[in-house]
Amino acid sequence: MNCARCLLRLQSVGFLAPSVRAAVQHAALLQPATALSQITVHNTRGQALRRFHGSPGCYKSQPVPTDPGEEHEDIIKKDKSLITHDDLFERVAREAKTKATFNRVVDVFSKRDIRRRGHVEFIYAALKKMPEFGVERDLTVYNKLLDVFPKEVFVPRNFIQRMFNHYPRQQECGVQLLEQMENYGIMPNVESKVLIVQIFGNKSHPMRKYQRIMYWFPKFKHANPFPVPLQLPEDPVDLARLSLNRIANDLDAKVTVYQMPCTDISESGEEITFPHVVGIQSPDQMELLAKHNPNRPVFVEGPFPLWLRKICVYYYILRADPLPPEEKVEESYDPERCFDYPLQLDLDLDRDMGDDDSFDVEDVDEGPVFAMCMTSQGDQATLNQWISGLQETNPTLGRVPTLFRLEAGPRELQGVADPGPGYREEGEEEAETDIVVEEEHQRSQGVKQ
Amino acid sequence: MNINRLIALSKSVQFGKILTSNARHATKEVTLPNRTIRTHARNLAYAKDLFLGKVNKAECFPYPEIGNEELEEINSFVAPVEKFFTEEVDSKRIDHEAKIPPETLNGLKELGLFGIQVPEEYGGLGLSNTMYARLGEIISLDGSIAVTLAAHQAIGLKGILIAGSEEQKAKYLPKLASGEHVAAFCLTEPGSGSDAASIQTKATLSEDRKTYLLNGSKIWISNGGFADLMTVFARTEVVGEDGVKKDKITAFIVERAFGGITSGKPEDKLGIRGSNTCEVSFDNCPVPVENVIGEVGGGFKVAMNILNSGRFSMGSAGSGMIKKLIEMTAEYAGSRKQFGKNLSEFGMIQEKFAVMAQNAFVMESMAYLTAGMMDRPGVPDCSLEAAMVKVFSSEGGWICVSEALQVLGGLGYTKNYPYERYLRDCRILLIFEGTNEILRMYIALTGMQYAGKILTGKIKEMKKGNVGVALEMLGRKLGDALGRKVDLGLTGMDGVVHPGLADSAKKLEQNVAHFGSTVENLLYRYGKTIVEEQLILKRVADVLINLYAMTAVLSRSSRSISIGLRNHDHEVLLANTFCTDAFFKNNYWLTQLQRNSPENQDENIKKIAREVLEKRTYVCSHPLDRTF
Repeated sequence: MNCARCLLRLQSVGFLAPSVRAAVQHAALLQPATALSQITVHNTRGQALRRFHGSPGCYKSQPVPTDPGEEHEDIIKKDKSLITHDDLFERVAREAKTKATFNRVVDVFSKRDIRRRGHVEFIYAALKKMPEFGVERDLTVYNKLLDVFPKEVFVPRNFIQRMFNHYPRQQECGVQLLEQMENYGIMPNVESKVLIVQIFGNKSHPMRKYQRIMYWFPKFKHANPFPVPLQLPEDPVDLARLSLNRIANDLDAKVTVYQMPCTDISESGEEITFPHVVGIQSPDQMELLAKHNPNRPVFVEGPFPLWLRKICVYYYILRADPLPPEEKVEESYDPERCFDYPLQLDLDLDRDMGDDDSFDVEDVDEGPVFAMCMTSQGDQATLNQWISGLQETNPTLGRVPTLFRLEAGPRELQGVADPGPGYREEGEEEAETDIVVEEEHQRSQGVKQ
Repeated sequence: MNINRLIALSKSVQFGKILTSNARHATKEVTLPNRTIRTHARNLAYAKDLFLGKVNKAECFPYPEIGNEELEEINSFVAPVEKFFTEEVDSKRIDHEAKIPPETLNGLKELGLFGIQVPEEYGGLGLSNTMYARLGEIISLDGSIAVTLAAHQAIGLKGILIAGSEEQKAKYLPKLASGEHVAAFCLTEPGSGSDAASIQTKATLSEDRKTYLLNGSKIWISNGGFADLMTVFARTEVVGEDGVKKDKITAFIVERAFGGITSGKPEDKLGIRGSNTCEVSFDNCPVPVENVIGEVGGGFKVAMNILNSGRFSMGSAGSGMIKKLIEMTAEYAGSRKQFGKNLSEFGMIQEKFAVMAQNAFVMESMAYLTAGMMDRPGVPDCSLEAAMVKVFSSEGGWICVSEALQVLGGLGYTKNYPYERYLRDCRILLIFEGTNEILRMYIALTGMQYAGKILTGKIKEMKKGNVGVALEMLGRKLGDALGRKVDLGLTGMDGVVHPGLADSAKKLEQNVAHFGSTVENLLYRYGKTIVEEQLILKRVADVLINLYAMTAVLSRSSRSISIGLRNHDHEVLLANTFCTDAFFKNNYWLTQLQRNSPENQDENIKKIAREVLEKRTYVCSHPLDRTF
């Protein structure tokens, strides 16, 4: 079988020439920098081919050009290629798991062996390790990984190769890489495309995968009419502002900050932290509240969760029970309402069935929601502050009995260690503590100011 | 047969003369002689009957005329006014300084233009609606003056004229007619224009029950800065029949001398800059109870009547303006050379003049037809017709001024020529005295209410599945489909339209019949919920306006041919052109009205608007944006 492939290879050298040139031109157009280095390789065509398929022994003896300062090189060199590449990452990860170290590992692997032996295993291992290094959403890293594949070798050269699955393991690996990009929502770019064409050719499986991603991703990019920003604001007040606007979905609604978060030192030397209280109310809600019957109570309810990407925040609402049917006042038609035209016709005819486009919707009577708020501390004292702030703009609220119906919901979720910010991150404990520390930092800054 | 028709025509023309000359006397004299002729027809109105697919030809044919004496009288009024406006009024200066100079105002007063419609016994000119319209043609040459005068007498003092008591008339009208006092009409409040619920100004009765105390503020009051007398609408507490206290609107005559009145800074406006528009506030302004117009709590009707009666003159005003513009631009087009040819030789320029001439002709015809109908004895309700005149002429005026400016190209855009001023001035016509949108609602809904009252029984029968009614309907539809000729009696034996216009008259008849069946269909489909269907109502109003316009031009040119007026063949040409044009437009709209909302684009239009308004911004992403 090996013989046959060698024969085939020899025959195809003649055919390859134009295709190599085309690929080089293509690359030169798109990436002038990388193209230059590749041209030097391809100019010595026969050599390049021999390098990939020659005896591994003779190359192994050649010293691989390396930087003298790379101590990892030695570690890796001692390894036999059969050992898992996880170790490679593990060893590097001992100091720090960053993009730089990840890149270094990839560089080391690429430079170690010109044939890139074991690159499939290496790429699988790298894909697995990406989230650990925090580079799972980094397009350049994916492109760098793609670059690990040797070029030109897996491109089918005749119809039989094209017909059958040429280098299936490698192709599958390429697809897997794209699949991971897809799962993290990373869209490949032109560089990825050029690499795939160079590695697997124009009609390979990875190329198909690439094309499918490029077909669907742009279509889905704006499918969500209410996009959550990628970078959520870190300041709890800004975050509350964003979340409240998101829930209210009313362009007229106005956000009011009733209290900024700050810490104060009381006379007895105790540190008192004041939580932030941010509320939202629209003019329509104010009107509803003004019309509210003062004999009926209003309720402060909560906390209700709202998820924003990986953050969960809690909000509280001020609401009333729906009006009982006997108290509903039908607004009667006043014929002296409009100076210019009749607002209603005095006719005994209704809309014909054929022109009745309305759906039969069963209306469930729900009580009106008058306002919403977010705070980091959902106790009654804090919420009272919100209600008294609301009273300034809604004088009726002073005459209406206000009942607090609070649940202990978020407290349980927050856990024991959490000092009690209004939100927490699920899953990533480190990130959470980071934010808590930051918040403390901000608070102390607030005191200083 | 032709001879017969001619005799019939000349007879009816003759009759029209008698009728209108009687009308002229009727307005002057308290006793109405010769009222026996056809007074029973007064409750009939032309436009409302169109909704039933009927042409009430007695109302609009023959075209109303005025007698020779009146003609001479009005011409004697017109000549000095025209002279004054061409020689003494400096419109450019008025526009620039945003003020009408006192000497110009004094000139207007001397000409008696502050009391055109005030009866002679109170010192006014006592002119009929027709003659008022004639003067309006000239007054409209300066927008600021026209608006100042209109605010004074078309709405400002109209309340006293139509609903005031004898004492009120005797006390106030002489000074108003002479221009010693200027009037203003204070209705609009910051809330909104047409919504009576937004009126917050309060009038509270004092303890001695002799004066009302007015509190509140009014906005956009024309003449508000200097008016000595105002018709003010305010809420008063009225005990209803059921003993419940209710806030109702009452109209008051308020003198500035009563005290407690302050005027705000004049608004800086786009056009009609010389007219004074400002806010007027009342702070405990005492008004004696005898200054209530009509009865307490009856202000709503007073306001409606004033608003409805003030609109008809806009047609003649618009046509007066366009006629002037035609003269000015025609001179330019005849002298300016391009590529060795005069502008007037280019087809696209010619089209603009045709549009202007046609619009002026139609406006004029509608305005004088309506004025003539209003001048007839009895208390004719021509508010629908007046609203149609207002909508048609304000929109036509805007188009014509824009076309006139276009003839001059870049020159028209500069302040060296008056076109930009006309353009700015005439934009207000689409807005004030009820915006055109609101008037379209009024036009369509008033007619729908009228037709609905009559057709309810029939439609109910049909919905119940009465075979007879359904068959009758089916037969009629089949007849229409097979091309049965509609004959509503405009032509033929008892025809009122001249044979030279028979084709156009047939088109009108066809449209009217089609309109009638469409209205019936709409009532069947929507019933009283048609109030919510504004896009449908807009088309209904547009068709009706065109039908009325067609009637007006047919009636006018028939008369012109019959009595051999100068250049009547040009009128026939204009009338036929307009009728053909309107016929096609009407057919298009009527076809749309027969369709359901997905088919006539209404659904799409509403959806587009909804999506834009939800986001309150233009929704599409930029054409240069990309996703990858």
